[in-house]
Amino acid sequence: MNTQRTVGILAKRSIRNIRRLPSAFFPALAMPIFNMIVFAGTFFAVTKIPGFPTDRSINWYMPLGIMMGAAFGGVGLGFTAIRDIETGFYDRLRMTPTSRTSLVIGPLVGTLTRIVMMTTIVIVLGIALGARFTGGVLGVLCLYAAALGLSTIGAGWGLGLAFRFKDMRGAAIMQLSIFLVMFLSSAQVPLNVMSGWLHTVARFNPATNILRLSRVGLVNESSPDHLAWNSVWGGLLAIALISALTLGFAVRSLQKLSD
Amino acid sequence: MRRKPAETARHLVALSRRSTLAIFRQPALVGPSLIFPLFFAALGSSAFSRAISLPGFPAVDSYLQFTLAGTVTQGVLFGSVTGAAALATDIQDGFFDRLLAAPTSRTSILFGRLAGSSLFGAMQALVFLLVLWPFGVTVQAGILGYISIVVAGFLTAFAVGALMSVVALKTGSAEAVQGTFPVLFILLFLSSAFFPRETMSGAYRRIADLNPISYMVEGQRSLSIDGLSLTALTQTLAIPTGIAILTTLLALRQLQSRLASR
Repeated sequence: MNTQRTVGILAKRSIRNIRRLPSAFFPALAMPIFNMIVFAGTFFAVTKIPGFPTDRSINWYMPLGIMMGAAFGGVGLGFTAIRDIETGFYDRLRMTPTSRTSLVIGPLVGTLTRIVMMTTIVIVLGIALGARFTGGVLGVLCLYAAALGLSTIGAGWGLGLAFRFKDMRGAAIMQLSIFLVMFLSSAQVPLNVMSGWLHTVARFNPATNILRLSRVGLVNESSPDHLAWNSVWGGLLAIALISALTLGFAVRSLQKLSD
Repeated sequence: MRRKPAETARHLVALSRRSTLAIFRQPALVGPSLIFPLFFAALGSSAFSRAISLPGFPAVDSYLQFTLAGTVTQGVLFGSVTGAAALATDIQDGFFDRLLAAPTSRTSILFGRLAGSSLFGAMQALVFLLVLWPFGVTVQAGILGYISIVVAGFLTAFAVGALMSVVALKTGSAEAVQGTFPVLFILLFLSSAFFPRETMSGAYRRIADLNPISYMVEGQRSLSIDGLSLTALTQTLAIPTGIAILTTLLALRQLQSRLASR
Protein backbone atom coordinates (compact mmCIF):
# COMPACT_ATOMS: atom_id res chain seq x y z
CA MET A 1 0.00 0.00 0.00
CA ASN A 2 1.50 3.37 -0.92
CA THR A 3 2.19 6.06 1.66
CA GLN A 4 -0.32 8.54 0.24
CA ARG A 5 -3.17 6.01 0.41
CA THR A 6 -2.29 5.03 4.00
CA VAL A 7 -2.17 8.69 5.01
CA GLY A 8 -5.63 9.19 3.50
CA ILE A 9 -7.13 6.14 5.21
CA LEU A 10 -5.67 6.99 8.64
CA ALA A 11 -6.70 10.65 8.30
CA LYS A 12 -10.26 9.57 7.45
CA ARG A 13 -10.30 7.24 10.44
CA SER A 14 -9.26 10.11 12.70
CA ILE A 15 -11.96 12.42 11.31
CA ARG A 16 -14.61 9.68 11.46
CA ASN A 17 -13.91 9.41 15.19
CA ILE A 18 -15.54 12.83 15.66
CA ARG A 19 -18.88 11.20 14.80
CA ARG A 20 -18.10 7.88 16.50
CA LEU A 21 -16.61 9.38 19.67
CA PRO A 22 -18.21 12.80 20.12
CA SER A 23 -17.39 12.57 23.83
CA ALA A 24 -13.73 12.96 22.86
CA PHE A 25 -14.21 15.82 20.39
CA PHE A 26 -16.66 18.05 22.26
CA PRO A 27 -14.48 18.60 25.35
CA ALA A 28 -11.68 19.51 22.93
CA LEU A 29 -14.02 22.12 21.45
CA ALA A 30 -15.49 23.25 24.77
CA MET A 31 -12.09 23.91 26.36
CA PRO A 32 -10.95 26.69 23.98
CA ILE A 33 -14.40 28.29 24.09
CA PHE A 34 -14.40 28.17 27.88
CA ASN A 35 -10.85 29.54 28.10
CA MET A 36 -11.68 32.38 25.73
CA ILE A 37 -14.79 33.40 27.65
CA VAL A 38 -13.44 33.13 31.20
CA PHE A 39 -10.10 34.77 30.49
CA ALA A 40 -11.70 37.60 28.53
CA GLY A 41 -14.34 38.07 31.25
CA THR A 42 -12.10 37.74 34.31
CA PHE A 43 -9.25 39.82 32.95
CA PHE A 44 -11.50 42.27 31.12
CA ALA A 45 -9.65 45.26 32.63
CA VAL A 46 -6.06 44.23 31.79
CA THR A 47 -6.34 45.96 28.43
CA LYS A 48 -6.38 49.26 30.38
CA ILE A 49 -2.78 48.68 31.53
CA PRO A 50 -0.59 51.19 29.66
CA GLY A 51 1.20 49.48 26.77
CA PHE A 52 -1.37 46.70 26.34
CA PRO A 53 -1.58 46.17 22.58
CA THR A 54 -5.38 45.90 22.27
CA ASP A 55 -8.35 47.52 23.96
CA ARG A 56 -10.57 44.42 23.64
CA SER A 57 -9.86 41.59 26.07
CA ILE A 58 -11.56 39.11 23.73
CA ASN A 59 -9.02 40.05 21.00
CA TRP A 60 -6.23 38.99 23.33
CA TYR A 61 -7.79 35.88 24.83
CA MET A 62 -9.53 34.40 21.77
CA PRO A 63 -6.13 33.41 20.25
CA LEU A 64 -5.11 32.02 23.65
CA GLY A 65 -8.21 29.81 23.73
CA ILE A 66 -7.53 28.61 20.21
CA MET A 67 -3.84 27.99 20.86
CA MET A 68 -4.56 26.03 24.05
CA GLY A 69 -7.13 23.99 22.13
CA ALA A 70 -4.66 23.43 19.30
CA ALA A 71 -1.84 22.38 21.62
CA PHE A 72 -3.99 20.00 23.64
CA GLY A 73 -5.73 18.79 20.46
CA GLY A 74 -2.29 17.93 19.12
CA VAL A 75 -1.14 16.00 22.16
CA GLY A 76 -4.58 14.35 22.19
CA LEU A 77 -3.28 12.35 19.23
CA GLY A 78 -0.85 10.80 21.69
CA PHE A 79 -3.81 9.64 23.84
CA THR A 80 -5.39 8.01 20.79
CA ALA A 81 -2.09 6.32 19.95
CA ILE A 82 -1.81 4.95 23.51
CA ARG A 83 -5.33 3.54 23.21
CA ASP A 84 -4.46 2.00 19.84
CA ILE A 85 -1.29 0.47 21.29
CA GLU A 86 -3.18 -0.94 24.28
CA THR A 87 -5.96 -2.43 22.14
CA GLY A 88 -3.43 -3.97 19.72
CA PHE A 89 -4.52 -1.83 16.75
CA TYR A 90 -0.98 -0.51 16.30
CA ASP A 91 0.42 -4.04 16.16
CA ARG A 92 -1.93 -4.76 13.26
CA LEU A 93 -0.97 -1.50 11.55
CA ARG A 94 2.75 -2.26 11.88
CA MET A 95 2.22 -5.63 10.22
CA THR A 96 0.85 -3.94 7.09
CA PRO A 97 3.30 -3.21 4.23
CA THR A 98 3.33 0.56 4.69
CA SER A 99 5.90 3.18 5.63
CA ARG A 100 6.28 4.13 9.28
CA THR A 101 6.10 7.82 8.35
CA SER A 102 2.55 7.42 7.09
CA LEU A 103 1.53 6.08 10.53
CA VAL A 104 2.52 9.48 11.90
CA ILE A 105 1.40 11.72 9.01
CA GLY A 106 -2.03 10.07 8.54
CA PRO A 107 -3.40 10.71 12.05
CA LEU A 108 -1.67 14.13 12.00
CA VAL A 109 -3.68 15.16 8.91
CA GLY A 110 -6.85 14.06 10.70
CA THR A 111 -5.91 16.10 13.79
CA LEU A 112 -5.13 19.19 11.71
CA THR A 113 -8.58 18.90 10.11
CA ARG A 114 -10.14 18.86 13.58
CA ILE A 115 -8.05 21.90 14.56
CA VAL A 116 -9.30 23.82 11.50
CA MET A 117 -12.87 22.99 12.58
CA MET A 118 -12.22 24.02 16.19
CA THR A 119 -10.46 27.25 15.17
CA THR A 120 -13.29 28.22 12.82
CA ILE A 121 -15.97 27.63 15.46
CA VAL A 122 -14.05 29.59 18.13
CA ILE A 123 -13.39 32.48 15.73
CA VAL A 124 -17.09 32.71 14.80
CA LEU A 125 -18.07 32.66 18.47
CA GLY A 126 -15.31 35.13 19.33
CA ILE A 127 -16.54 37.56 16.68
CA ALA A 128 -20.08 37.18 18.06
CA LEU A 129 -18.66 38.11 21.50
CA GLY A 130 -16.94 41.22 20.16
CA ALA A 131 -13.57 40.12 18.73
CA ARG A 132 -12.41 42.17 15.73
CA PHE A 133 -9.68 41.26 13.23
CA THR A 134 -7.79 44.51 12.79
CA GLY A 135 -5.47 42.74 10.36
CA GLY A 136 -8.23 41.46 8.06
CA VAL A 137 -7.79 38.20 6.13
CA LEU A 138 -4.02 38.18 6.70
CA GLY A 139 -4.64 38.29 10.44
CA VAL A 140 -7.05 35.36 10.20
CA LEU A 141 -4.50 33.37 8.19
CA CYS A 142 -1.78 34.05 10.76
CA LEU A 143 -4.09 32.73 13.51
CA TYR A 144 -4.81 29.55 11.53
CA ALA A 145 -1.09 29.11 10.77
CA ALA A 146 -0.17 29.45 14.44
CA ALA A 147 -2.93 27.01 15.50
CA LEU A 148 -1.96 24.39 12.92
CA GLY A 149 1.72 24.83 13.72
CA LEU A 150 1.28 24.46 17.46
CA SER A 151 -0.99 21.48 16.93
CA THR A 152 1.68 19.81 14.76
CA ILE A 153 4.25 20.38 17.50
CA GLY A 154 1.87 18.95 20.10
CA ALA A 155 1.00 15.97 17.91
CA GLY A 156 4.66 15.07 17.32
CA TRP A 157 5.39 15.38 21.03
CA GLY A 158 2.29 13.38 22.02
CA LEU A 159 2.95 10.59 19.51
CA GLY A 160 6.63 10.39 20.44
CA LEU A 161 5.79 10.02 24.13
CA ALA A 162 3.01 7.53 23.37
CA PHE A 163 5.40 5.30 21.35
CA ARG A 164 8.05 5.54 24.08
CA PHE A 165 5.83 4.87 27.12
CA LYS A 166 3.14 2.73 25.42
CA ASP A 167 0.73 3.37 28.31
CA MET A 168 -1.03 6.18 30.14
CA ARG A 169 2.13 7.22 32.02
CA GLY A 170 2.97 9.18 28.89
CA ALA A 171 -0.35 11.04 29.00
CA ALA A 172 0.49 12.86 32.24
CA ILE A 173 3.82 14.07 30.81
CA MET A 174 2.10 15.20 27.59
CA GLN A 175 -0.48 17.30 29.43
CA LEU A 176 1.84 18.75 32.05
CA SER A 177 4.56 19.74 29.58
CA ILE A 178 2.12 21.47 27.22
CA PHE A 179 0.40 23.19 30.15
CA LEU A 180 3.71 24.58 31.45
CA VAL A 181 5.01 25.65 28.04
CA MET A 182 1.76 27.48 27.29
CA PHE A 183 1.40 29.29 30.62
CA LEU A 184 5.09 30.20 30.94
CA SER A 185 4.74 32.44 27.89
CA SER A 186 2.89 35.60 26.92
CA ALA A 187 -0.37 33.64 27.23
CA GLN A 188 -2.00 35.98 29.74
CA VAL A 189 -0.34 39.34 29.10
CA PRO A 190 2.24 40.67 26.61
CA LEU A 191 5.94 40.70 27.48
CA ASN A 192 6.04 44.47 27.98
CA VAL A 193 3.34 44.24 30.66
CA MET A 194 4.73 41.35 32.71
CA SER A 195 7.64 41.56 35.13
CA GLY A 196 9.98 39.44 37.21
CA TRP A 197 10.79 35.78 36.64
CA LEU A 198 7.95 35.16 34.19
CA HIS A 199 9.25 37.88 31.87
CA THR A 200 12.65 36.17 31.75
CA VAL A 201 11.15 32.74 31.09
CA ALA A 202 8.57 33.95 28.55
CA ARG A 203 11.22 35.85 26.55
CA PHE A 204 13.04 32.60 25.80
CA ASN A 205 9.94 30.42 25.47
CA PRO A 206 9.22 29.77 21.77
CA ALA A 207 5.50 29.55 22.59
CA THR A 208 5.66 33.35 23.07
CA ASN A 209 6.67 33.72 19.40
CA ILE A 210 3.88 31.43 18.24
CA LEU A 211 1.32 33.30 20.36
CA ARG A 212 2.60 36.58 18.94
CA LEU A 213 2.06 35.19 15.43
CA SER A 214 -1.50 34.22 16.36
CA ARG A 215 -2.26 37.75 17.57
CA VAL A 216 -0.70 39.93 14.86
CA GLY A 217 -4.06 40.42 13.20
CA LEU A 218 -5.94 41.15 16.42
CA VAL A 219 -3.84 43.83 18.13
CA ASN A 220 -4.50 47.54 17.60
CA GLU A 221 -3.27 49.03 14.34
CA SER A 222 -1.06 51.37 16.38
CA SER A 223 0.70 48.43 18.05
CA PRO A 224 4.21 47.59 16.76
CA ASP A 225 3.08 43.94 16.52
CA HIS A 226 0.25 44.72 14.07
CA LEU A 227 0.90 42.57 10.97
CA ALA A 228 4.62 43.19 11.45
CA TRP A 229 7.08 40.79 9.86
CA ASN A 230 9.14 41.07 13.06
CA SER A 231 6.25 39.48 14.94
CA VAL A 232 5.61 36.83 12.31
CA TRP A 233 8.95 35.28 11.41
CA GLY A 234 9.84 34.23 14.95
CA GLY A 235 6.61 32.25 15.22
CA LEU A 236 7.01 30.63 11.80
CA LEU A 237 10.62 29.69 12.56
CA ALA A 238 9.66 28.25 15.96
CA ILE A 239 6.91 26.18 14.32
CA ALA A 240 9.21 24.91 11.54
CA LEU A 241 12.08 23.96 13.86
CA ILE A 242 10.11 22.48 16.75
CA SER A 243 7.69 20.63 14.44
CA ALA A 244 10.67 19.02 12.70
CA LEU A 245 12.10 18.04 16.09
CA THR A 246 8.89 16.63 17.57
CA LEU A 247 7.81 14.82 14.38
CA GLY A 248 11.34 13.39 14.11
CA PHE A 249 11.00 12.25 17.73
CA ALA A 250 7.65 10.61 16.88
CA VAL A 251 9.02 8.74 13.82
CA ARG A 252 12.14 7.60 15.71
CA SER A 253 10.05 6.43 18.66
CA LEU A 254 7.76 4.53 16.30
CA GLN A 255 10.77 2.85 14.70
CA LYS A 256 12.02 1.84 18.15
CA LEU A 257 8.57 0.50 18.95
CA SER A 258 8.81 -1.69 15.85
CA ASP A 259 12.29 -3.03 16.70
CA MET B 1 -31.36 0.26 64.52
CA ARG B 2 -30.87 3.01 67.10
CA ARG B 3 -27.29 3.45 68.29
CA LYS B 4 -25.81 5.11 71.33
CA PRO B 5 -24.19 8.48 70.51
CA ALA B 6 -20.87 7.24 71.91
CA GLU B 7 -20.94 4.28 69.55
CA THR B 8 -21.72 6.50 66.55
CA ALA B 9 -18.91 8.85 67.59
CA ARG B 10 -16.49 5.90 67.78
CA HIS B 11 -17.44 4.81 64.25
CA LEU B 12 -17.08 8.36 63.02
CA VAL B 13 -13.60 8.73 64.52
CA ALA B 14 -12.45 5.40 63.04
CA LEU B 15 -13.78 6.20 59.56
CA SER B 16 -12.49 9.79 59.71
CA ARG B 17 -9.05 8.49 60.62
CA ARG B 18 -9.18 6.04 57.71
CA SER B 19 -10.21 8.69 55.17
CA THR B 20 -7.65 11.22 56.44
CA LEU B 21 -4.80 8.71 56.27
CA ALA B 22 -5.96 7.61 52.81
CA ILE B 23 -5.66 11.17 51.49
CA PHE B 24 -2.16 11.72 52.88
CA ARG B 25 -0.98 8.29 51.69
CA GLN B 26 -1.60 9.31 48.07
CA PRO B 27 0.80 12.16 47.27
CA ALA B 28 -0.23 11.96 43.61
CA LEU B 29 -3.72 13.10 44.65
CA VAL B 30 -2.60 15.61 47.27
CA GLY B 31 0.27 17.18 45.31
CA PRO B 32 -1.57 18.82 42.40
CA SER B 33 -4.13 20.60 44.59
CA LEU B 34 -1.25 22.13 46.56
CA ILE B 35 1.15 22.84 43.70
CA PHE B 36 -1.18 24.20 40.98
CA PRO B 37 -2.76 27.01 43.04
CA LEU B 38 0.73 28.12 44.13
CA PHE B 39 1.93 27.94 40.52
CA PHE B 40 -0.96 30.14 39.39
CA ALA B 41 -0.30 32.56 42.25
CA ALA B 42 3.36 32.82 41.20
CA LEU B 43 2.33 33.22 37.56
CA GLY B 44 -0.22 35.91 38.41
CA SER B 45 2.24 37.83 40.57
CA SER B 46 4.48 38.31 37.53
CA ALA B 47 1.81 38.63 34.86
CA PHE B 48 -0.55 40.97 36.69
CA SER B 49 1.90 42.95 38.81
CA ARG B 50 0.90 46.15 36.96
CA ALA B 51 -2.82 45.41 37.13
CA ILE B 52 -3.04 46.35 40.82
CA SER B 53 -2.95 50.05 39.88
CA LEU B 54 -6.09 49.69 37.75
CA PRO B 55 -9.28 51.39 38.97
CA GLY B 56 -11.37 48.88 40.91
CA PHE B 57 -8.41 47.09 42.50
CA PRO B 58 -8.10 47.43 46.27
CA ALA B 59 -4.98 49.13 47.62
CA VAL B 60 -2.48 46.26 47.87
CA ASP B 61 1.30 46.00 47.82
CA SER B 62 1.34 43.16 45.33
CA TYR B 63 -0.92 40.98 43.20
CA LEU B 64 0.20 38.07 45.38
CA GLN B 65 -1.41 39.77 48.39
CA PHE B 66 -4.60 40.27 46.38
CA THR B 67 -4.70 36.68 45.14
CA LEU B 68 -4.15 34.96 48.51
CA ALA B 69 -7.88 34.37 49.04
CA GLY B 70 -8.30 33.12 45.46
CA THR B 71 -5.38 30.73 45.90
CA VAL B 72 -6.83 29.28 49.11
CA THR B 73 -10.29 28.86 47.58
CA GLN B 74 -8.93 27.37 44.35
CA GLY B 75 -6.83 24.79 46.18
CA VAL B 76 -9.59 23.81 48.59
CA LEU B 77 -12.23 23.50 45.84
CA PHE B 78 -10.02 21.22 43.77
CA GLY B 79 -8.80 19.16 46.72
CA SER B 80 -12.27 18.52 48.09
CA VAL B 81 -13.21 16.33 45.13
CA THR B 82 -10.76 13.69 46.42
CA GLY B 83 -12.89 12.60 49.40
CA ALA B 84 -16.07 12.17 47.34
CA ALA B 85 -14.15 10.26 44.65
CA ALA B 86 -12.88 7.96 47.40
CA LEU B 87 -16.47 7.42 48.62
CA ALA B 88 -17.45 6.44 45.07
CA THR B 89 -14.46 4.08 44.94
CA ASP B 90 -15.66 2.51 48.22
CA ILE B 91 -19.01 1.87 46.51
CA GLN B 92 -17.33 0.52 43.37
CA ASP B 93 -14.99 -1.89 45.12
CA GLY B 94 -17.61 -3.16 47.61
CA PHE B 95 -16.16 -1.63 50.80
CA PHE B 96 -19.35 0.43 51.20
CA ASP B 97 -21.41 -2.82 51.15
CA ARG B 98 -19.14 -4.41 53.74
CA LEU B 99 -19.62 -1.36 56.00
CA LEU B 100 -23.39 -1.72 55.61
CA ALA B 101 -23.19 -5.42 56.46
CA ALA B 102 -21.37 -4.49 59.67
CA PRO B 103 -23.20 -2.72 62.50
CA THR B 104 -21.76 0.62 61.39
CA SER B 105 -23.57 3.91 61.83
CA ARG B 106 -24.85 4.90 58.34
CA THR B 107 -24.23 8.60 58.69
CA SER B 108 -20.68 8.05 59.92
CA ILE B 109 -19.88 6.44 56.55
CA LEU B 110 -20.65 9.77 54.90
CA PHE B 111 -19.26 12.07 57.58
CA GLY B 112 -16.15 9.93 57.98
CA ARG B 113 -15.30 10.58 54.34
CA LEU B 114 -16.14 14.27 54.60
CA ALA B 115 -13.93 14.63 57.69
CA GLY B 116 -10.87 13.50 55.75
CA SER B 117 -11.31 15.98 52.90
CA SER B 118 -12.31 18.78 55.30
CA LEU B 119 -9.15 18.35 57.38
CA PHE B 120 -7.19 18.33 54.15
CA GLY B 121 -8.94 21.59 53.16
CA ALA B 122 -7.89 23.22 56.42
CA MET B 123 -4.35 21.95 55.96
CA GLN B 124 -4.25 23.31 52.40
CA ALA B 125 -5.30 26.77 53.62
CA LEU B 126 -2.59 26.66 56.28
CA VAL B 127 0.06 25.56 53.77
CA PHE B 128 -0.86 28.40 51.37
CA LEU B 129 -0.70 30.95 54.17
CA LEU B 130 2.69 29.66 55.32
CA VAL B 131 4.22 29.33 51.84
CA LEU B 132 3.15 32.83 50.76
CA TRP B 133 4.10 34.48 54.06
CA PRO B 134 7.87 34.83 53.25
CA PHE B 135 6.82 36.69 50.07
CA GLY B 136 5.19 39.42 52.12
CA VAL B 137 1.66 38.01 51.99
CA THR B 138 0.18 38.53 55.42
CA VAL B 139 -3.29 38.62 56.94
CA GLN B 140 -3.96 42.10 58.32
CA ALA B 141 -6.68 40.74 60.63
CA GLY B 142 -3.99 39.02 62.68
CA ILE B 143 -4.23 35.64 64.35
CA LEU B 144 -8.05 35.64 64.23
CA GLY B 145 -7.82 36.28 60.49
CA TYR B 146 -5.41 33.38 59.98
CA ILE B 147 -7.64 31.06 62.03
CA SER B 148 -10.75 32.21 60.12
CA ILE B 149 -9.14 31.45 56.74
CA VAL B 150 -8.06 27.99 57.91
CA VAL B 151 -11.56 27.31 59.29
CA ALA B 152 -13.03 28.60 56.01
CA GLY B 153 -10.81 26.05 54.22
CA PHE B 154 -12.30 23.32 56.41
CA LEU B 155 -15.89 24.48 55.86
CA THR B 156 -15.50 24.98 52.11
CA ALA B 157 -13.99 21.52 51.71
CA PHE B 158 -16.85 20.09 53.79
CA ALA B 159 -19.48 21.92 51.70
CA VAL B 160 -18.02 20.95 48.34
CA GLY B 161 -17.19 17.43 49.54
CA ALA B 162 -20.84 16.95 50.58
CA LEU B 163 -22.02 18.20 47.20
CA MET B 164 -19.67 15.84 45.39
CA SER B 165 -20.81 13.03 47.71
CA VAL B 166 -24.30 13.46 46.28
CA VAL B 167 -22.85 12.56 42.88
CA ALA B 168 -20.82 9.70 44.41
CA LEU B 169 -23.87 8.22 46.19
CA LYS B 170 -26.12 8.71 43.17
CA THR B 171 -23.78 7.20 40.57
CA GLY B 172 -21.34 5.08 42.60
CA SER B 173 -18.73 6.08 40.04
CA ALA B 174 -15.43 7.80 40.82
CA GLU B 175 -15.23 8.85 37.16
CA ALA B 176 -18.58 10.65 37.45
CA VAL B 177 -17.30 12.51 40.52
CA GLN B 178 -14.10 13.50 38.71
CA GLY B 179 -16.26 14.49 35.74
CA THR B 180 -17.94 17.19 37.83
CA PHE B 181 -14.55 18.83 38.41
CA PRO B 182 -14.98 21.24 35.45
CA VAL B 183 -18.15 22.59 37.10
CA LEU B 184 -16.06 23.73 40.08
CA PHE B 185 -13.49 25.18 37.70
CA ILE B 186 -16.20 27.17 35.92
CA LEU B 187 -17.72 28.38 39.20
CA LEU B 188 -14.31 29.54 40.40
CA PHE B 189 -13.53 31.44 37.20
CA LEU B 190 -16.99 33.02 37.12
CA SER B 191 -16.22 34.69 40.44
CA SER B 192 -13.92 37.41 41.74
CA ALA B 193 -11.26 34.87 42.78
CA PHE B 194 -8.60 36.27 40.43
CA PHE B 195 -9.72 39.83 39.64
CA PRO B 196 -12.07 42.18 41.50
CA ARG B 197 -15.71 42.28 40.40
CA GLU B 198 -15.35 46.05 40.02
CA THR B 199 -13.06 45.50 37.02
CA MET B 200 -15.49 43.18 35.23
CA SER B 201 -18.25 44.17 32.89
CA GLY B 202 -21.56 43.09 31.32
CA ALA B 203 -23.02 39.59 31.74
CA TYR B 204 -19.77 38.29 33.22
CA ARG B 205 -19.98 40.86 36.02
CA ARG B 206 -23.63 39.95 36.69
CA ILE B 207 -22.74 36.25 36.98
CA ALA B 208 -19.86 37.06 39.35
CA ASP B 209 -22.30 39.19 41.38
CA LEU B 210 -24.60 36.17 41.79
CA ASN B 211 -21.85 33.66 42.53
CA PRO B 212 -21.49 32.94 46.28
CA ILE B 213 -17.81 32.08 45.73
CA SER B 214 -17.22 35.77 44.96
CA TYR B 215 -18.45 36.80 48.42
CA MET B 216 -16.61 34.01 50.19
CA VAL B 217 -13.33 35.01 48.51
CA GLU B 218 -13.96 38.69 49.14
CA GLY B 219 -14.45 38.02 52.86
CA GLN B 220 -11.08 36.29 53.09
CA ARG B 221 -9.54 39.02 50.93
CA SER B 222 -10.87 41.70 53.22
CA LEU B 223 -9.39 39.92 56.27
CA SER B 224 -6.09 39.74 54.43
CA ILE B 225 -5.96 43.28 53.05
CA ASP B 226 -8.17 45.50 55.23
CA GLY B 227 -8.08 43.79 58.61
CA LEU B 228 -10.70 42.44 60.98
CA SER B 229 -14.34 43.35 60.46
CA LEU B 230 -17.65 41.69 61.24
CA THR B 231 -18.68 41.74 57.57
CA ALA B 232 -15.46 40.06 56.46
CA LEU B 233 -15.75 37.40 59.18
CA THR B 234 -19.39 36.74 58.29
CA GLN B 235 -18.58 36.40 54.59
CA THR B 236 -15.59 34.16 55.32
CA LEU B 237 -17.38 31.79 57.68
CA ALA B 238 -21.15 32.10 57.25
CA ILE B 239 -21.25 31.54 53.48
CA PRO B 240 -19.37 28.20 53.48
CA THR B 241 -21.36 27.18 56.60
CA GLY B 242 -24.65 27.90 54.84
CA ILE B 243 -23.58 26.01 51.73
CA ALA B 244 -22.31 23.14 53.91
CA ILE B 245 -25.69 22.82 55.65
CA LEU B 246 -27.51 22.75 52.34
CA THR B 247 -25.17 20.26 50.64
CA THR B 248 -25.06 18.02 53.75
CA LEU B 249 -28.86 17.78 53.72
CA LEU B 250 -28.70 16.83 50.04
CA ALA B 251 -26.00 14.23 50.71
CA LEU B 252 -27.96 12.70 53.64
CA ARG B 253 -31.04 12.49 51.45
CA GLN B 254 -29.05 10.78 48.72
CA LEU B 255 -27.59 8.38 51.30
CA GLN B 256 -31.10 7.52 52.46
CA SER B 257 -32.24 6.80 48.91
CA ARG B 258 -29.20 4.60 48.26
CA LEU B 259 -29.91 2.66 51.47
CA ALA B 260 -33.63 2.43 50.65
CA SER B 261 -32.94 1.08 47.15
CA ARG B 262 -30.98 -1.87 48.54
